[in-house]
Amino acid sequence: MATESDLVAFATQVTCPDDFDQFWDGVLSGLNGIPLDSKVTHDPLRSTETASVYQVCYRSLDDLEIFGWYAVPAPGDGPFPAVLILPGYKSEPALRRDWAGKGVAALSVAVRGKLPSSAEFNPGYPGLLTHGVEDRETYSYKGVISDCVRGVDFLLSRPEVDASQIYCCGSSQGGGLTLITTGLRHEIKAGVAGYPFLCCFPESMRMLRSYPYDELSCYARAYPDRVEQALDTLRYFDAVNFAPRIECPMAVGIAMEDEVCPPETGYAAYRLLNPERELRLFPNSGHGNAHAYPAWEAAWLQQRMGATAS
Amino acid sequence: MTSAPSSSAAFWEQTEAQLAETPPDITLERDAFYSQPEWDVFRMHYNSSGGHRLYAWFSVPHGDGPFPALVRMPDYGSVHDIIYTPLRQHAVVMNPTYRGQRNSDVLVRAAYPGLLTDGIDSAETYTLLGAYADALRAIDILREQQQVQIGAIALTGAGLGAALALATAAHRSGIAAVAADTPMALGHPTALQPGLGYPLGELGDYLRAYPDSLETVAGITSLVDPIGFAGSVQAPVLMSAGRFDRSLCPLSFAEALAAALPDCDLRVYEGAAEGGGHEHGQVRGAWLAEKLGVSR
Repeated sequence: MATESDLVAFATQVTCPDDFDQFWDGVLSGLNGIPLDSKVTHDPLRSTETASVYQVCYRSLDDLEIFGWYAVPAPGDGPFPAVLILPGYKSEPALRRDWAGKGVAALSVAVRGKLPSSAEFNPGYPGLLTHGVEDRETYSYKGVISDCVRGVDFLLSRPEVDASQIYCCGSSQGGGLTLITTGLRHEIKAGVAGYPFLCCFPESMRMLRSYPYDELSCYARAYPDRVEQALDTLRYFDAVNFAPRIECPMAVGIAMEDEVCPPETGYAAYRLLNPERELRLFPNSGHGNAHAYPAWEAAWLQQRMGATAS
Repeated sequence: MTSAPSSSAAFWEQTEAQLAETPPDITLERDAFYSQPEWDVFRMHYNSSGGHRLYAWFSVPHGDGPFPALVRMPDYGSVHDIIYTPLRQHAVVMNPTYRGQRNSDVLVRAAYPGLLTDGIDSAETYTLLGAYADALRAIDILREQQQVQIGAIALTGAGLGAALALATAAHRSGIAAVAADTPMALGHPTALQPGLGYPLGELGDYLRAYPDSLETVAGITSLVDPIGFAGSVQAPVLMSAGRFDRSLCPLSFAEALAAALPDCDLRVYEGAAEGGGHEHGQVRGAWLAEKLGVSR
């Protein structure tokens, strides 16, 4: 169990590469050159009186087709606030009709490797976290993060979305991806990162023997001569290096008994956020299972949406 | 082509008959990458009914057996975890998948949402019924594999995994304990109530689109109503439920199921589908360790 003192006392050894911004500027520039080519298909089976549900897909890095669930308030034409919901490591992307019922369009992204975005890239679970980690150009998360960034592009392309009201949230890997995506795309107005994964890789893999971080420990045991190289790659994908680049309000939720993402590492990202940050600690809660978390996340975002969301 | 079973008893009889005529053809391959200093991890493949080739993660502690075994039945999702529990240092652990999940998806690839209603207009085509056969097959495979000698067997799982664990304990003898977290109410009339969240809400979606199918859906899913087979579960059961669960194991169902089980300790928490979360995780871990006679 972590205490608040443990969180404050923890100092990560992760440093930011000198060419961090240059690398990501290059990735974003490359993405801009790929047509979004989005397709939106109404799903009557999943639609309700208050939510029109669509299966969507769009193009991302390496021209991969990325799938998402898109729930839009019904009836009405908008423009609506929109929330980009980023997925956990191995969980399915959630179809969030509840947001549509609150007057908010919700896009839930199945990043590459997840069904049904796995046709051309499928390293598996376990597998994704170490796939191509020898080089920042080949690392799986270059694509995964690109898929999240393109989710912002999708929302910006939609006539029913208020482009000035785009929000982002997710838990676990989705929490880490929320920090990363919000650091890269300043169109996002506020975000909530729950139980954030992808923070402080070197410490996380040492602090725990649980997956997914243990994939990195397995990698280190199997390829000791490549560890330094891999850790250098991971600096480009560590959420603590994106946190200072976030310009909007951001809330971070941390479970103090988290056995998957060490609480200290989420806090390390939190403390690097701009002053418009908020921390919520969930005592006696483990990874992803704080009962109060979903309501807190929704309320915090709705408060930022103001009167726009009902 | 087999005919559709007309009753729960006929369904289970047919399931057993189909498994009996399917040679298991077990293969075990040690995974050097994921094996640890204290235990080996294996990739296990075997056959189930309907021509499905299934996958399981399988871990064996270092040292001389026999070892107790913990089987973690798969939940409702495409991925079933690699071996994860702290008990892996002292017990054989098997995480079997069911047809349609990742690594067991040659013939059918399940969608989430989607699997809960895939083919639900007939018992012959309802894909999810096969998951129950696959759960029984997993225990048979655990007992037949030659890698390690097995002692006491405990089952665990959450959601669908909990329902599969209870079904297995009802249809296989010699199970020492079952830890069932928020068992999915599939098969019970509770699951067909309108307004439930996913995954049970998939049934509501289907019935909203096809309201005339209510009787058919109720009949087909009732083949695997946990309350129907609960009386056959001889093992002690530790069950968790969340008081506000409206998507997986509504409290009224949890209480009815607990009452139908001969030996059940139901713990109700102030939560939803996560059940008791971390708090119950501690209770469950200690309970399973005690039942298996190992330290955590």
